[in-house]
Amino acid sequence: MIQLKHVSKKFGRHLAVADLSLEVPSGEIYGLLGHNGAGKSTAIGMMLGQVWPTGGEVRICGFEVTSRRREALEKVGAIFESPAFYDYLSGRRNLQILSSYTASTPSARIQEVIEWVGLGARADSKVRTYSHGMRARLALAQALLPKPALLILDEPSDGLDPEGIHEMRQTILRLQREMGLTILLSSHLLTEVEQLCTRIAVLNQGRKVFEGALAETRRQEKWVRLRVGDFALAVRALREQGLIADHRDGSLVCPAPGIGADQIVNFLVRQGISLFEIAPEQETLEGFYLRLMDRQHEVA
Amino acid sequence: MFYNHLRGELWKLFGKKRTYIGFGTFLLAQNAMLLLFHFTHWQEGMERNLAGNGYPAQDYVSALTVALIMLIPQIVMLMPLYIALVGGDLVAKEAEDGTLRMILCRPISRFQLLTAKWVAGMIFAAVLVLVLGATALGFARCWFPWKGMFVFAPGMVFNALSASEGLKLYLCSHLFLTINASVILGIAFMFSCFNMKPAAATILALSFLFVNVVMEGIPFFENYRQWLLTHYFQVWLLVYSQPTPWERLGESLCVLLAFSLTSFLIGTAAFQARDIKS
Repeated sequence: MIQLKHVSKKFGRHLAVADLSLEVPSGEIYGLLGHNGAGKSTAIGMMLGQVWPTGGEVRICGFEVTSRRREALEKVGAIFESPAFYDYLSGRRNLQILSSYTASTPSARIQEVIEWVGLGARADSKVRTYSHGMRARLALAQALLPKPALLILDEPSDGLDPEGIHEMRQTILRLQREMGLTILLSSHLLTEVEQLCTRIAVLNQGRKVFEGALAETRRQEKWVRLRVGDFALAVRALREQGLIADHRDGSLVCPAPGIGADQIVNFLVRQGISLFEIAPEQETLEGFYLRLMDRQHEVA
Repeated sequence: MFYNHLRGELWKLFGKKRTYIGFGTFLLAQNAMLLLFHFTHWQEGMERNLAGNGYPAQDYVSALTVALIMLIPQIVMLMPLYIALVGGDLVAKEAEDGTLRMILCRPISRFQLLTAKWVAGMIFAAVLVLVLGATALGFARCWFPWKGMFVFAPGMVFNALSASEGLKLYLCSHLFLTINASVILGIAFMFSCFNMKPAAATILALSFLFVNVVMEGIPFFENYRQWLLTHYFQVWLLVYSQPTPWERLGESLCVLLAFSLTSFLIGTAAFQARDIKS
């Protein structure tokens, strides 16, 4: 659905995006991660034909964006952080204006989308009277009007309260489930990405430093989380018996080679040490991201 | 499709209060001038001028004459300001507010978008000039009778016309005024297409006009007037000349239209090359 091949972008002497290649398959929710200034918004700008690439090729829905803009963006909807509207006009009028740039849109379709996002009662009020959450819904409505196959979301939860963030997350899942949309999500909120995305790419200083399935970031660690009555006593006993090789953080143990969790449990029970929980430690996206960035800093 | 884009641009343009500031100010200025003309020595001065040239003042101090007198300072001072304000907003304000980014994620080409905006701007310029002309005449008619028209612009026009001939030329001069207004709007629009704030686009357009006016007034540039844009803006007053200077009218029209087209193309080229970022 989205293909970036060796794309780069320079603003003066500053290299904002360097040799970026990405592929977003159809039907996926794809996360784009990176700190401020990592090149996410520039990359999205190039996907939408708003920023001209210095080099490389950007294809959306199979069409080169710079040369075949109309075909490439015909089935694309986009939402940006802090969505901007004509505040002095009504929500409905805003939708009429914005949809006219794609194709002539019947009033019934506009009404349908207004209802879908839950703005029915306020559609004819001026946008300046809308709350942040209502503006976010209006942004979603304008993105859905052209019946998109691809939705590009650039920090869609920016500025929303926890309820709004939850609602936005549910809406994204609903869109993918009900309409089968391909979604590219750029976000700072790692928990949001973790809950929504199936694949991610991480950008750092304009370069892609990771791309893969979310499951790859959750690779199981060799560490085991152990919750016992007396961790120090348990560790000493396990070490004397040669069942663990290491321990850390007051709750994690590293089993010795060839030792399974069942053997540790049996031993602790036999020793009369209270055991409440034993579980394999799984790395979070946040842990993965921070480790990745640390590695990048070391390389730099 | 173009009709839909244009309709959207007109909704945006005429939907905001700022667009109407110009109309309101013109109405106030017209009434103030009318009162000044009626209650000061201004009217007497004109009557002496007419009498001195052998015209009976009572036949030519009319609604048409006063409407034109009211228009001249407004056209020279107020119109460029308000037209440049709207023209400077057309693209730059949308870029500043972030709505341009919302538009440009749609499958519309930048050229199509600018064309719709430019045409909407031209419609605004025409509406402003026509409303200005109509209200000036309307207000003047409330106070003065419908008689012959006297036109006097030092160094350019001195003419006395019948009411019907005067009205015909009054309408004709508004056609040329519309062209003047659209050229001013085109200059502000051109600057607005570059990466700058709306106020900067307005100020640059006004500065360009101001430099032209100043240079035109300096005797040194007497022989270079044909290189100054404002020299061609006089065409709206020249239509009242007797005999009609067709050659000068044709030349001015061609220069103004060429200037308008050039500013649009420069603006389009600048906008096309720009990166639109938040």
